[in-house]
Amino acid sequence: MTGKNILEMRGITIEFPGVKALDGVDFSLREGEIHSLLGENGAGKSTLIKCINGVNRKDSGTILLDGREINPSGPYEAMTLGISTVFQEVNLCPNLSVAENIFVGRQPMKHGRINWSEINRRAEELMSRFHLDIDVARPLSYYSTAVQQMTAIARAVDVQAKILILDEPTSSLDENEVQLLFSVMRQLRDSGMGIIFITHFLDQIYAVSDRMTILRNGHLVGTYNINELGKVELVTKMVGKDMDVIFSLKRANVPEDSPVMLKAENIGDGSRIDDMSLTLRKGELVGFAGLLGSGRTETAEMLFGATRAVHGEIFVDGEKVSIRTPFDAIQAEEAFCPEDRKRDGIIGDLSIRENIMLAVQSRKGFMHPMTRQEQTELADKYIALLGIATPDCEKKAGELSGGNQQKVILARWMATSPKVLILDEPTRGIDIGAKAEIQRLMLEMCGEGVSVIFISSELDEIIRCSNRIIIMRDRAKVAEVDGASCTQQDILRIIAEGAA
Amino acid sequence: MAGKRFDVAGLMQSKVTWAVIAEALILLVCFVIRPDFFSISYQPSTGMLYGSLIDIVNRSAEITIISMGMTLVIALGGTDLSVGALVAVAGAIALKFLRWDVLTYTTPGDYTVYPYILVIAVPLVVCALMGLFNGFLVAKGGIQPIIATLILMVCGRGVAQILTDGKQFTTGYSPFRVIGQGSFMYLPMPIIITVIVVVAVALFTRKTAFGAFVESVGVNPSASRLSGIKAGNVILLVFMITGLLSGIAGLIYSSRIMSNDSNNAGLNFEMDAILAVVIGGTNMAGGKFSLAGTVIGSLIIRTIVTFVYYFGIVAEATMAFKALIIAVVIVLQSEPVRKYFARRAAMKGGAGA
Repeated sequence: MTGKNILEMRGITIEFPGVKALDGVDFSLREGEIHSLLGENGAGKSTLIKCINGVNRKDSGTILLDGREINPSGPYEAMTLGISTVFQEVNLCPNLSVAENIFVGRQPMKHGRINWSEINRRAEELMSRFHLDIDVARPLSYYSTAVQQMTAIARAVDVQAKILILDEPTSSLDENEVQLLFSVMRQLRDSGMGIIFITHFLDQIYAVSDRMTILRNGHLVGTYNINELGKVELVTKMVGKDMDVIFSLKRANVPEDSPVMLKAENIGDGSRIDDMSLTLRKGELVGFAGLLGSGRTETAEMLFGATRAVHGEIFVDGEKVSIRTPFDAIQAEEAFCPEDRKRDGIIGDLSIRENIMLAVQSRKGFMHPMTRQEQTELADKYIALLGIATPDCEKKAGELSGGNQQKVILARWMATSPKVLILDEPTRGIDIGAKAEIQRLMLEMCGEGVSVIFISSELDEIIRCSNRIIIMRDRAKVAEVDGASCTQQDILRIIAEGAA
Repeated sequence: MAGKRFDVAGLMQSKVTWAVIAEALILLVCFVIRPDFFSISYQPSTGMLYGSLIDIVNRSAEITIISMGMTLVIALGGTDLSVGALVAVAGAIALKFLRWDVLTYTTPGDYTVYPYILVIAVPLVVCALMGLFNGFLVAKGGIQPIIATLILMVCGRGVAQILTDGKQFTTGYSPFRVIGQGSFMYLPMPIIITVIVVVAVALFTRKTAFGAFVESVGVNPSASRLSGIKAGNVILLVFMITGLLSGIAGLIYSSRIMSNDSNNAGLNFEMDAILAVVIGGTNMAGGKFSLAGTVIGSLIIRTIVTFVYYFGIVAEATMAFKALIIAVVIVLQSEPVRKYFARRAAMKGGAGA
């Protein structure tokens, strides 16, 4: 397993306007190894792989492939050099067959026509190497995400790749599919290929990789053999802080006589949710647990007026309120961070300043504008408070990493000083450091008397933070448990069996 | 030093910069060929200044006014195809009130049949309502703007025909003449109206938060709604403003010819307005907009047309010539070209430092 280096990168520096995305990073990949690339969002992982496959141009440094210097001008040239990349979002054509997807652009020809039998035979051969016995003539959309991912990999490796780059291939796969992918990765490694693997899941790194390289803020932290570094050390190196401090979070302390801040009685949207009731006290954090589609998001959307409750009543701070639109909810001093950050949260082409001031401004109405200076002061205050990594508040929000975007959305709502804050999956898809920080902020806000509803698929963070946990199943509340005394097993059992 | 260097690169990245450069280049060519192109003289008989530059600004008035609204529509990620038809509608209504009933008032002269206030107000109100109709289809009906506004584009001229029984009225009413042919402070009245409109739209969008809301809805309507912006109302208002501005342009246009022309008034104005906005640096996909850029875009379009007339290029070649210059401007503004010059500027600045 100690093959020679096929790829060597020395002193790679890439600058974007105002930021050094990579600063003198060295990286090497050996023949026949799986090499994990680690770091928080914005650490420079994507920039580094985009430098290898030619999407980003490096400002200085050298890249040696098999000892020869290369300077790929784009993914296509990189591919002809033997560097293939499978991106996070599968970019294949769902309406073409699996075989077509693998060979599109380089179909084997016979008498000037495409040789379909040859395509299908070779595609089948490739897929069976991955222990996938499927009909390659069926359209790609017929198959699961895992098979689609395998197709993307098959396409990548069929072009005689020496180096395979996998950028977050596992984020949409279930456990079995992940195992399947890993066995394929091991097989490719044993055939001598060098694989660069990026993932947010620490367990997967230990399960499959041989070495790992850690980046932080565009700098190289180090390259280690997998057995050299334990998980806690690894996370500490990634975050650059001691993890004990971050995980010493204490759930909010709610006094017995704390008043009810939000009360919903028998609300329903007429189609998906019927008859949901809940109460939330001042300074309390209530977690929503349940599987995807269990009604967590639908309930949150109703409470905020994103979808309209056709029956039932909502009280905020003791007063009955009519919430028909998000605007009404904001007037009632509610705030809502939606689940899909890209689609419903961040306004990518606008600056951080504009993103942060938006909810405050919309509450005031456009005829009462904040001055530019007020906006900048507000944005700068939250950039400092939440530690948003940016040179200034005029950077486009869409250019930030996922964790920082989430902080911008959080800042947008913190700026309105809400009484009730609803967070739908605020920690999804962001790295562990940012996750811990968002949990800390959440709990701090509880301490200041804000009532928080926290929706998450990760039970451990729900249990760590919640005073009370509402468990949902099949679009209804099935149980309410105390956050301090319950365990993951309890919750899983209720989710599975449907009874308290 | 570093700050200054970054600024040059930033300027080179901006589409507005390139629009200004393009306009300057076209004017420079004019100057080289005809040094008197820039001369401006005072005509005591009309009390107005005369010259090619004045003429360019004067003649660009309708497109500049319409494209102020178009900028907002495009910033929302839409387009409004009905503006040209609304120009015809405004003219038809104005002339109808001036000459109604033609059978009684058989010869045009310095009179108006209905009060002058109606001649001005009704076309503007009707155009604003037609804009509101567009906005309603888009905001409440969820119809794509290009399709929704196609309706009035197609039937607007028909409405204008029906209003005037298919007739072309002419008038000699002098207060009406002032709008398109009068002067104020030595300048043609359309220039004055344009300045007022541009300033009003700029104040309304930038001194309130309306511009920010428009940009926000243009980039991400869903996220804007969840941030409490009433996206539907923003859309309604933007289309209504555009309708109103088309009405103002329609009054100027019909005052210039002192007549209504349902077939030709405002013909292809929607295309020129869209072009002005795009040359001005606002992205067709919606988002950030630049009113100043749009004004320059509109001036570029008019400068090209004036250039063509002025240098006696044969009429048949006019359109091709216009297209050629616009193609050059658009290429100059394209991403690779801007990036190339920005990089060069950055390198040069670096070497200097």
